[in-house]
Amino acid sequence: MAHFIAILLDDKRLDALKGTGLEDKISDLFGGALKALNVEVPEEAEKGIMEAFTAARIDSRGAITDVPIAFNRVLFEEIVKHKSIGKEVFDSVLARADEIKEAAAKESTYLPPPDIDLSDVEELQKKPYQSA
Amino acid sequence: MSKLVIERPLPHGGRLVERVVRDPELGKKMAKGCPVYDIKPTLHFETGVPVRNVYREIMSICYGFFSPVEGSMTQAEVERILKERRLLNEWVFPYPLVFDISEEDYKKLGVTSGDRVLLRLKGEPFAVLDVEEVWRIDNPEELAHKTFGTPEDNPEVVRERFDKKHPGWVIYRSLNPVVLAGKYTIINEPKFKPPFDRFWYPPKKSREEYDKRGWRTVINHQTRNVPHVGHEFLMKDAAFMGDTEPCHGIQVNAIIGVKRRGDYPDEAIVEGHEMVHLAGYIKPERHLVTMCLWDMRYGNPLESMLHGIIRQNMGCTHHMFGRDHAAVGEYYDMYATQILWGKGIPSFGFPAPITDVPYGLQIRPQNMAEFWYCPKCGEIAYSGTCNHTKEKQKFSGSFVRGMVAEGVFPPKVIFRPEVYKVIVKWWKEFGYPFCNEKYVKEKEERLEVDLPHMEV
Repeated sequence: MAHFIAILLDDKRLDALKGTGLEDKISDLFGGALKALNVEVPEEAEKGIMEAFTAARIDSRGAITDVPIAFNRVLFEEIVKHKSIGKEVFDSVLARADEIKEAAAKESTYLPPPDIDLSDVEELQKKPYQSA
Repeated sequence: MSKLVIERPLPHGGRLVERVVRDPELGKKMAKGCPVYDIKPTLHFETGVPVRNVYREIMSICYGFFSPVEGSMTQAEVERILKERRLLNEWVFPYPLVFDISEEDYKKLGVTSGDRVLLRLKGEPFAVLDVEEVWRIDNPEELAHKTFGTPEDNPEVVRERFDKKHPGWVIYRSLNPVVLAGKYTIINEPKFKPPFDRFWYPPKKSREEYDKRGWRTVINHQTRNVPHVGHEFLMKDAAFMGDTEPCHGIQVNAIIGVKRRGDYPDEAIVEGHEMVHLAGYIKPERHLVTMCLWDMRYGNPLESMLHGIIRQNMGCTHHMFGRDHAAVGEYYDMYATQILWGKGIPSFGFPAPITDVPYGLQIRPQNMAEFWYCPKCGEIAYSGTCNHTKEKQKFSGSFVRGMVAEGVFPPKVIFRPEVYKVIVKWWKEFGYPFCNEKYVKEKEERLEVDLPHMEV
């Protein structure tokens, strides 16, 4: 069975896909709460990915996961560039493996946290129910 | 009362072990004049990265989580465990637990059977070890293989030969050659740092807490994760199993210890579970978040046996077990835990379920399949019930981690927003949402506890 990579799509990525002819490949996840592009990975490309990115694994859904965040970013860039989700996209991605690895090394020490308001949970934590 | 009503089980072995001296003067007296050994982490046999700290085992033994074990095991006890998964007193137990030191340190210490050693942690007196026997691990690789089993010796459940990719195998492979066997006694009680201090309920205390809350039946959820909504529904649905009514309490017991890259930080795990009740998704009166110190061995059926022992000692009547329980990789059959609890594993010494053998466990397993999100049902559904197998969307831990790492705010059907914000809280603290090398290294230096100053 061919495995796949799910690229999560935020508004910016959804905009980038407009006009690529790939709009009909967008799928709903979790009842439409998330949008994703499920990209089937050719066998040869899967081998290349597993060799280049040793943390990558196949999860219980048959998806290739635990690739660097930079991998997903580059994969998406190449998809938009080629207007395709075919083999040529993976050839281009793997040709940029060194660049991805360099970015991944930085990712392993720091990831910028999202700038969101935490005051509601801080308020809840001021009155813990347990005080062992 | 109905004969169908379930009572709280006795501790494993019949009584709770508690080897903690709370009188500092007595502690000082016990330690006076003893040779001193500073506890060191066990380092990976190849990379030198910390993979275990024996202080966690000493804590879990002395506070009774591992009752009836009272100390570092003798050679005969370890051999019996590897052969039959039983202690010398017959009670079932899955793993060898030893206090191991290098030949060099052994020479410096100069102790033999009958001596007492003062164990220091972070430079302060922590515990004493009364040496009953000194023995040697001649072949740590063989010990590691025997600890987890092999496809040849345990064909019912072992699928692949263990190797250095397995973190539990690495712990045993990395042990030092000299074992000091004997009972531990904590003489200077460590103080847990926040946020861990809120979740420290050793067995005596957890049983008192259940009494205070009026809980007779309690189901335990094992965790090493921040809970996503699938975990939450597993807990809620499993808790319907009780006796004549659903379980009174839902206990979360987090295993706190050496982390692997990609795990969530321990601080986020315990606070993430706590947030489930602070935000009202489960009533706090029915939900207790606790922890146990242990460097996980990821031994699937064997780990589940230890989990059963820990939670029975805490007083739980039931325990949830899912697919791939406490597993990593594909070394074991994905249902190996459920096989142990459902029909037994003869090659590990259990021709019947672990609850049905002499000196076995009393806690009841709740062997669960999986939960998924069903867009057609519009809810989190149990795989044994929902028939929309084409539409289902599984909760994949790595998918969820990928989403978090990309900074996508997860939808409510994956993470409760308040729980996700706990992840972000600790992400801001550590500069990373998961454990990375920096976190792992620093955590093993600061540990979960501090020790009061004690002059001996």
